Amino acid sequence: MRTTPPVIAASAAVALALGLTGCAASGGGGDADAVTITLATWRTEDTAMWEEEVIPAFEASHPGIHVEYAPVDTNDYNAAIQSQLEGGTGPDLIMCRPFDVNRQWISKGYFDDLSDLDAISSFDDTALSAWAGDDGAPYCVPVASVLAGFYYNKAIFDELGLEVPTTQQEFIDVLDAIKEDGTYAPLALGSADGWQLAYNMLYQVGPNYWKGEDGRLGLIDGSQKLTDPAFVEGFTVFDSFSDYLPNGFESISYEDMTQMFTLGKAAILPDGSWQISQVDSTGLDVGVFGAPPASAGDTRYQQEMADMAIGLNADSAQKDAATAFLEWLGTPEFQQLYVNKLPGFFSMGTEPVTYDDPLAQEFAGLKEGAELTSRLALDRLSAGQPPLDDEIWRVAQLMYNTGMSPEDATAELQAGLDSWYVPAQ
Amino acid sequence: MIRTAARYRLLALFVLPALIVYTAFAVYPLLSSVVLSFFDSDTGSNVFVGLDNYVFLFTDQWQSERFWNALGNSLEFFLIHLLVELPIGLLMAALLTSARIRRSVGVYRTMLFIPATLSVVIVGFIWRLIINPLWGLVEFPLLGNELTALPTISLMSVWQWLGIPMVFLYTALLAIPNDVVEAARIDGANGWQVFWRIKFPLIAPQFGLIVVLTYIWTFNGFDIVYALNGSAPGPNYSTDILGTFFYRTFFGSSGQVANLDLGATVASVIFFIILVTTAAYFWVLQRRLKTYEL
Amino acid sequence: MTHTLSTSTIRVADAPTGDLRVRRRGPVDVLTSSTVHGILILFSLLSTVPILIVVMNSFKTTQGIFGEPFALPNAETFNVQGYLNVFARGSFLLNYQNSIIVTVSTIVLTVVLGTAAAWALVEYKVRIGPVIAGFFVIGIMLPIRLGTVPLIKTMTAWGLMDTLPALILVYTAMQLPLAVALMTTYFRAVPTELKEAARIDGAGELRVLGITLPIVRVGIAAVASITMLPVWNDLWFPLILAPGKQNQTVTLGVQQFVGQFQSDYPALLAALTLGAVPLVLLFTVFSRQYIAGLSNGYGK
Repeated sequence: MRTTPPVIAASAAVALALGLTGCAASGGGGDADAVTITLATWRTEDTAMWEEEVIPAFEASHPGIHVEYAPVDTNDYNAAIQSQLEGGTGPDLIMCRPFDVNRQWISKGYFDDLSDLDAISSFDDTALSAWAGDDGAPYCVPVASVLAGFYYNKAIFDELGLEVPTTQQEFIDVLDAIKEDGTYAPLALGSADGWQLAYNMLYQVGPNYWKGEDGRLGLIDGSQKLTDPAFVEGFTVFDSFSDYLPNGFESISYEDMTQMFTLGKAAILPDGSWQISQVDSTGLDVGVFGAPPASAGDTRYQQEMADMAIGLNADSAQKDAATAFLEWLGTPEFQQLYVNKLPGFFSMGTEPVTYDDPLAQEFAGLKEGAELTSRLALDRLSAGQPPLDDEIWRVAQLMYNTGMSPEDATAELQAGLDSWYVPAQ
Repeated sequence: MIRTAARYRLLALFVLPALIVYTAFAVYPLLSSVVLSFFDSDTGSNVFVGLDNYVFLFTDQWQSERFWNALGNSLEFFLIHLLVELPIGLLMAALLTSARIRRSVGVYRTMLFIPATLSVVIVGFIWRLIINPLWGLVEFPLLGNELTALPTISLMSVWQWLGIPMVFLYTALLAIPNDVVEAARIDGANGWQVFWRIKFPLIAPQFGLIVVLTYIWTFNGFDIVYALNGSAPGPNYSTDILGTFFYRTFFGSSGQVANLDLGATVASVIFFIILVTTAAYFWVLQRRLKTYEL
Repeated sequence: MTHTLSTSTIRVADAPTGDLRVRRRGPVDVLTSSTVHGILILFSLLSTVPILIVVMNSFKTTQGIFGEPFALPNAETFNVQGYLNVFARGSFLLNYQNSIIVTVSTIVLTVVLGTAAAWALVEYKVRIGPVIAGFFVIGIMLPIRLGTVPLIKTMTAWGLMDTLPALILVYTAMQLPLAVALMTTYFRAVPTELKEAARIDGAGELRVLGITLPIVRVGIAAVASITMLPVWNDLWFPLILAPGKQNQTVTLGVQQFVGQFQSDYPALLAALTLGAVPLVLLFTVFSRQYIAGLSNGYGK
């Protein structure tokens, strides 16, 4: 059968027309009075919670404003938002990444200064600093922070007669005991995903040795170097866990680790508080402990990372409605609702919040009696090439995979940092 | 023969629609972005810097190291496709057009093509699962080892895209009239000789084209590495190819800020490499290949 | 006339056949029917069994997927929650429709425009011809994502932002270079006498092109098969140019199941499995054209 050119041309026209009508018919819905603002975020897994709980609560107290939750998967989020903002389109409300990436977005003029917002007074300076510009002004309203810890399977601990470790040596003893027993893997930990070696291991155990914020700020102002003994010791302790990794750990990814733990095959999972609902999902009895200090009586350091905030698109057409939403973020109503619907995310406001989920409450309890510290390399130290955070991911993998020594690792990292970083005085 | 003036008119008539769409929605956007490579916007305003970005890319210790690493990896990525995907594709096409089978050709054809229809997320998921040391069939951590990670991903990509050279070479072989093959058989040629002395020379230009296309696609390749290993693909950048190097430079990542000017520079350099080598290939090889009217 | 990008064409009758008479009884012909089938079966299984594993796992719970990935769903692990999630959350049918509209329109537009251009480049040889051909071929080498921001600005200026035609135009522009390059190879194999005879009979140029179409339709089917793939499975441009809920394609819609830290695997696998079906169907439709190639009574 011959398909003559006119037929082909006609079907092309029809197809194009279909496409045009397809979009024309479905565009422009909604009632005329309501204003719709869009909120872009990388948290695709929270969609149901936002759409069913949080947004209805906001819309109930703010009639006439409709909020659309527009998630973009986390790998493409930065690229998509940047492209949209450069191109002149883009959402009204933008979820902000912490520290250096956000500072670059601020310097490109993506956000509006939020200093005049009432909501800002609900947060202290430390909380706001992750999203402040070089001028010190706040550009995003903090939403949640996350903590890092070690989940453990209580049943396995009971079975092997183990107690939660309070010093590093006790931790090693616990791991030895599990390894000797042989039934379970001591650590659900792999090195395929470099980021979690950094975020959930090194940045957790390390601060106990480089003294948390002292070390971190020391790197930033140049008074300390990664090659200093305190840092090398932190890296060494990180390295010492490599004896307890499961077979084939080089290919074990972050998802594999979680599955390993929730299927009851491993005793301890180094992870962040965001994983609480996943960890709880199979009905295991799970507890959590923080990275123990070197010796009894030493100060314990707990990683708390300012994780999420929301900012205002400088080119937004609905600034009034969007600002109303941002104001709402500073209220205890939002914070109480949010952190309880999303266990594992902790409020950054000055008002105290209670957590319904027991594991979340236990996690929050890790902050007591500990010095809090952020992840080491995301503030100022990743603004150039090579970015320290990316480099730590890479080097952490090398340490586990190829046995690179902590001395070589820290030397390489410091050399990379020195090649571009000018310490802020 | 048609007169020259008429030829120009007809050419314009038939080519213009394609030319307009292509120029407006591909060439123009790309050129506008390539222009960024001659500017520096770090300070907030665009400053014309000529070739400075290019010099920086090749002289800065960190950038040039990443660049040459990516280039070498892309070459490895391409070679594996060349040595595995194309021969197997050719084999499949040859078998599908061999005189020995008539029925069920369609079934084989479709089954071999199905992987190409899949999203790269599925491809990554299934092969990751199969070679996972924890729950898969392979104990050795293929993706975690610097030496085996890239070949493993390359083979995944080969598995996925095998259908494309197969389809293209298959349709090229279809065009060969039976009487040529019959004549050779009557002369006593066996299957092997028929294929290599008759069929393959007749499709040599198409084969050359698919080699070039494979080269271009692997050098611009991105999806499978990105889907499996993100934008800073390890371990230790051993799976970082030119496509991911460009993406990371241009768009940044969670730990790295975006650099539009340098990213545009990287893209231009990649394009230039592909252009020069492809042009050289055409000049030296493809010109000598004869197309037969059948 | 020398074209750096074209090849010289000669008639099959003049093709060198080599000296085939040397060995009348050559080595035993190993290509028996069963060998051919055997090899094809092997590779076909290699191609499809992994996919069957995915389909099978889409009917299991997450624990079932990771606990026993290669086991069939049993009473404990069988679960259609993945499929339920896919249809309940996120207007999957609408996404499906959008993907089909975009992909089919792109195929049609690419084939029509690309075939016309390739025909002209092969048929109407002028000095500028190779330049235009080269201009198209260059498009195969360009990474389209680089042009994202100018594309956004163009689409906004033309009022096409967040529409399906925006996607169709971008994808067509992306695929035209390849379509033109491939179709020129098929057009070159068309015998000249056929075209000349038609012209002598008084046919207009469009008619002559029409006469060649049955010969090149195998090529058209191949081009359609190849160009549809990156269009359906692309995530980036729907994300940038058509992100609105009413315009989302399947590939974009599926992203909601990919979390920052944990993905909804059963739903993801379910959605992606369903997403592959139209492409397989389209391929079988295009494949019908290949049957035409098996009979070759044209012009001889």
